[in-house]
Amino acid sequence: MAYTPQYGPGTSKVAENRRKQMNPAVQLDKVRDVTDEDVVLILGHRAPGSAYPTAHPPLAEQQEPDCPIRKIVEPTEGAKAGDRVRYIQFADSMFNAPSQPYQRTYTEAYRFRGIDPGTLSGRQIVECRERDLEQYSKWLIETEMFEPALVSCRGATVHGHSLRLAEDGMMFDMLQRCVLDGGVVKYQKDQIGEPLDRAVEVGKPMDDAWVKEHSTIFHSLVGTAYRDDAEYVEYIQRIHSLRTKYGFMPKEE
Amino acid sequence: MGKIERSQKLFLNALKEKFQGEDPESVKTTFYNFDGVRQSPRKREFMEAAKKVEMKRGMAMYDPEHCHLGGLPMGQRQLMTYQVSQTDVFVEGDDLHFVNNSAMQQFWDDIRRTVIVGMDLAHATLQKRLGKEVTPETINEYLHILNHAMPGAAVVQEHMVETHPGIVDDCYVKVFTGDDEMAADIEPQFLIDIDKLFPADQAEVLKAQVGKSMYQAIHIPTIVSRTCDGGTTSRWSAMQIGMSFIAAYRMCAGEAAVADLSFAAKHAGVVQMATHLPARRARGPNEPGGIKFGLFSDIIQANRKYPNDPARASLEVVGAGVMLFDQIWLGSYMSGGVGFTQYATAAYTDNILDEYTYYGMDYLKDKYSFDFTHPDPAQCIKPTQEIVNDLATEVNLNAMEQYEQFPTLMEDHFGGSQRAGVMAAACGLTCSIGTGNSNAGLNGWYLSMLMHKEGWSRLGFFGYDLQDQCGSANSLSMEPDRGLMGEFRGPNYPNYAMNVGHQGEYAAIVGGAHYGRGDAFCFNPLVAITFADPSLTFDFAEPRREFAKGAIREFMPAGERSLIIPAR
Repeated sequence: MAYTPQYGPGTSKVAENRRKQMNPAVQLDKVRDVTDEDVVLILGHRAPGSAYPTAHPPLAEQQEPDCPIRKIVEPTEGAKAGDRVRYIQFADSMFNAPSQPYQRTYTEAYRFRGIDPGTLSGRQIVECRERDLEQYSKWLIETEMFEPALVSCRGATVHGHSLRLAEDGMMFDMLQRCVLDGGVVKYQKDQIGEPLDRAVEVGKPMDDAWVKEHSTIFHSLVGTAYRDDAEYVEYIQRIHSLRTKYGFMPKEE
Repeated sequence: MGKIERSQKLFLNALKEKFQGEDPESVKTTFYNFDGVRQSPRKREFMEAAKKVEMKRGMAMYDPEHCHLGGLPMGQRQLMTYQVSQTDVFVEGDDLHFVNNSAMQQFWDDIRRTVIVGMDLAHATLQKRLGKEVTPETINEYLHILNHAMPGAAVVQEHMVETHPGIVDDCYVKVFTGDDEMAADIEPQFLIDIDKLFPADQAEVLKAQVGKSMYQAIHIPTIVSRTCDGGTTSRWSAMQIGMSFIAAYRMCAGEAAVADLSFAAKHAGVVQMATHLPARRARGPNEPGGIKFGLFSDIIQANRKYPNDPARASLEVVGAGVMLFDQIWLGSYMSGGVGFTQYATAAYTDNILDEYTYYGMDYLKDKYSFDFTHPDPAQCIKPTQEIVNDLATEVNLNAMEQYEQFPTLMEDHFGGSQRAGVMAAACGLTCSIGTGNSNAGLNGWYLSMLMHKEGWSRLGFFGYDLQDQCGSANSLSMEPDRGLMGEFRGPNYPNYAMNVGHQGEYAAIVGGAHYGRGDAFCFNPLVAITFADPSLTFDFAEPRREFAKGAIREFMPAGERSLIIPAR
């Protein structure tokens, strides 16, 4: 029987949004345009226009071992070229940022290839070959996965996801990598905090209605209360109960 | 599940004090205008002190305005103070780092320097093998000699060097027994009086457990266990015990029977506070990683002082446990880091965990008619999966909602690991106190973790992925290498050995199961009696209050070297 992903339980809008982000059959709305060069600037891994540094020769030029797995798995473009592995890392505000750490990881795992995501409470990192990364990053910034005031690219010093928002609605960032200027969010520093030669615009913050409509986090004050999605809660209890039972006695009675 | 009314918000006072002039329920605030690290009196003190050190040694030191992020010092948002829970004391975060807090150091010193040694084997050797008479009088004389010798004084040999009594003044030995007649014959200065120290029902149980046996509660000098290690404690104590028996009972210093006394004191009759760890941990006995959670809950004495408030008693174990296991054990012994403090302090500051836990107590009362103020095994709830799920779900949902409804509360616990530990602890404590079953409490912990992760799509740092997501499966298991009763688990239990924000809470969950039943002890009655001793430097009935005293520099520790160093 072919496996059909269900992308998680729940009857709430939050649950629906989660499934939508994860499901690669759903095309997420493109909300803004950010140029390839701007993505490279925010990432801060290489100068725009410079060649991709490599970790090894292109696969076509090196002798590959006789490995059945390599015959099955088609390498990504970055892997073929021998790119080094670099990263993009996001901090997502708990005040209804459109994606959240585990949600990002699940979404990326369903939609991207050749990635190594890491999930923490205040940040989520995804690592992969550099040219693949730039392509993925562009998607992560241009689509509804991103909201300029509530999501930010932060390599280090990520403190902010759980803090109250600043008066202008921006999530706290002690390095102030991006600022709200003339109604538009502009990156003055790259994700690691190095100042940029020119600011990179990532668009206007979305209004409260949009943010609430696209949220993937339960929140009883600014969004949907977890308690109100009974199906979600029951599903977790069921998972926990089954794990407990089979851990205690790993066979049917 | 079903939300219940609880108008009291124990954390509100702390939030109002921490975020003065701000609405604790507001979503917005101001940043970047706090003058960096200089907003904190403690950081300013550090900078001032560093200047003096630099002048003296001619070498750079603490320089946050240059070294932190290349000149961008922390303090772009408010550097918060913290209220030590269930005290009125507000402190700076730095004051709760164990290096800056003498009470925290003494807490661990007092555990590490303690062993319990039974006297029955030694008395049998003296009476049966050597034909010596053992009477209350000889025991008192022996204790007199032992209290001379244990700190490091000579009893047999000529021309011996000795330790300065002023430096080792915290070292002593007392005894206890369940035999009232024998206890009455022991000089009061040497006796831990169970009847006086414990509530009557607890004293009765403890004395029955000890029976007619007699045990020595031994505390070697703080400075010795610090200079050496926890493994030294039983060796140091055994050496002085052997010499004191020789002196008190006029034995030959080299006769073979001395070996029996040594074997009893070092091995057969000794109770260590912590077991020896595997070679890869490279720690001997009496080091934090070997302390079983059940035993730790006996070290903490809040259940003796607050027998009708198992929540309070458990919360004291949390505070003490996270300090020892997170700040000292995992934070420094194991990882070598200095930044683990704030994982731990979240669990014993600002009355946040306290509020969540008392919500659980109210829920137990409201839904299951369990009155936590009258602990009794008869009213404990049967720990079914359904009930554990119900308790943990409701307490966890309430905790998440509090963080959501009070954004300053979320800002207070700004890290996911802090929130995860606190919410899961409240769930675990509610389940263990209500059911009297430690494994049911651990099971509630893991449901909280899964629920938290799914609700907010985040949990703690990387390690939480493993420990807390596979925890459901080992929480009720009793199979070797897969599970164990909560009382026998410890910081080195598989899966528990890598994450801050867990071990202290686990210990409290285990303790809570017994406090909820009104038990006199959790794991070892000898340990419960030993740490009731009021002569100890640290008061184990009030660890959080003691830590607060340390934070405001009002705690007087032992092991100070001022007698042997130049005056400052």
